[in-house]
Amino acid sequence: MSEKPRHSRLAGAGVALLGAAAAFLSLGGRSGNAFLLRPPGAGEPQRFLSRCLRCGACAKACPYGSIRMDETGLAGGELGTPVILPRQKPCYLCADLPCVKACPSGALDAQLRDAKKARMGTAVILEREECLSLKGLRCEVCYRNCPLIEKAVTVENYLNARTGRHAVYEPVIHKEHCTGCGICEHSCILDRPAIRVGELQPESENLYEG
Amino acid sequence: MKARGWSRARRCVQLSVVALLASQLAGGGFFRGTLSASTLLGIPLADPLAALQLMLLGVSPTAHLLLGVALVSGFYLLLGGKSFCGWVCPVHLLTDLLERFPGRESLPRLPLKWKLGSLGLCLALTPVLGLPVFEALSPIGALGRAIGAGALSGAGLVLLILVAELFFARRLWCRSLCPLGAIYSGLGRLSPLRVAFEEKRCTGCRRCQKNCLVPEVLEPCIGDKKSRVRSGECSRCGSCIDACPTRALQMSIHKTVEKKEVIS
Repeated sequence: MSEKPRHSRLAGAGVALLGAAAAFLSLGGRSGNAFLLRPPGAGEPQRFLSRCLRCGACAKACPYGSIRMDETGLAGGELGTPVILPRQKPCYLCADLPCVKACPSGALDAQLRDAKKARMGTAVILEREECLSLKGLRCEVCYRNCPLIEKAVTVENYLNARTGRHAVYEPVIHKEHCTGCGICEHSCILDRPAIRVGELQPESENLYEG
Repeated sequence: MKARGWSRARRCVQLSVVALLASQLAGGGFFRGTLSASTLLGIPLADPLAALQLMLLGVSPTAHLLLGVALVSGFYLLLGGKSFCGWVCPVHLLTDLLERFPGRESLPRLPLKWKLGSLGLCLALTPVLGLPVFEALSPIGALGRAIGAGALSGAGLVLLILVAELFFARRLWCRSLCPLGAIYSGLGRLSPLRVAFEEKRCTGCRRCQKNCLVPEVLEPCIGDKKSRVRSGECSRCGSCIDACPTRALQMSIHKTVEKKEVIS
């Protein structure tokens, strides 16, 4: 048949395309992309990516509309996976964890029963020069808004070396309690938030306090 | 005169599925998810290929997945396997509409069996990449998210398919590439729901084949006078029944399991 050569050429193109797609997926997956804030119970990025069916049930279950489905591209196999953008809407740590309950595949771990035990990431004051509290002003908005106030964020005061006579009230994040919900990042009054949720920082082995 | 009954019914079902997906945008709570996995009126539904990939990744299936896969597989096992493609899948709806463009006849149709290859490739790559590969690339999922969540990040995949079908080959994705289609084609081979052929009524006009999306499945009937369409590739869309002027074709239920008479 006259279609034969065309078939084989198309077959070659198809295989090449699939191969390229596979290479693209694997390449992106290994290159350690920028941190993506996932819904509660997602755990390690690789664990989550291997279980998520990209169905969007978590996003639909979220009463605040915090979970978005269109923030990731094809690279790393992340297309259509759920992401929280704290600056737009953080995770409000619903007590009944509707997103986790909605997940059909267990990608959001159903073992997580207490939202306050979620470990989505760890908040860090990334821009210390910009943080108003660190400049000596009584901002502390992140501290006041933290759902785990006095646990995940405390305020430590010390002498303001700049003036020599005032105090600095520094918000200090305690990673062993921080859920990574992003409410602090959301509430930071600066245009570019000084405090941001990043990769989960493992708890220290030898804590000086419980 | 050409009847429209099956074609109309099918289009209604296809549009209902789109409406069901879109109901999520309007905040309707009765359906949640995509065709990969969802909850309909509290009933879990899940795609067998999605579950298969998770198994290959060593993930123990949840109750949702187990029940969902059982319900979905059972449903399509009874109702024709690839009826999923013809009646439910929104990508198929788009490629259906594409087939209405003029000048489609000049484009080739590629082999149906290729999708077994893409199924194999998906399943082989899944443990290697540590990802459910089809879910990460699926245009069906991407379209579902676009309709249900307004998430357009995967729309390019769907567009790619439409462009490829417009210029290179007719119904390239659904016929030859979709790994999910390969799964449902397997179920369709075992399904009791068949298009039956009555040789006495056939005039050999072949209008059925002209209207069929997978014309080769009718060949054993028209050519070799088999009494029903045996191929799993038949999507039970009913276009052939509508097209037949002498009512030689009917949708029917066969109680006996088909003997091994696999056609390609």
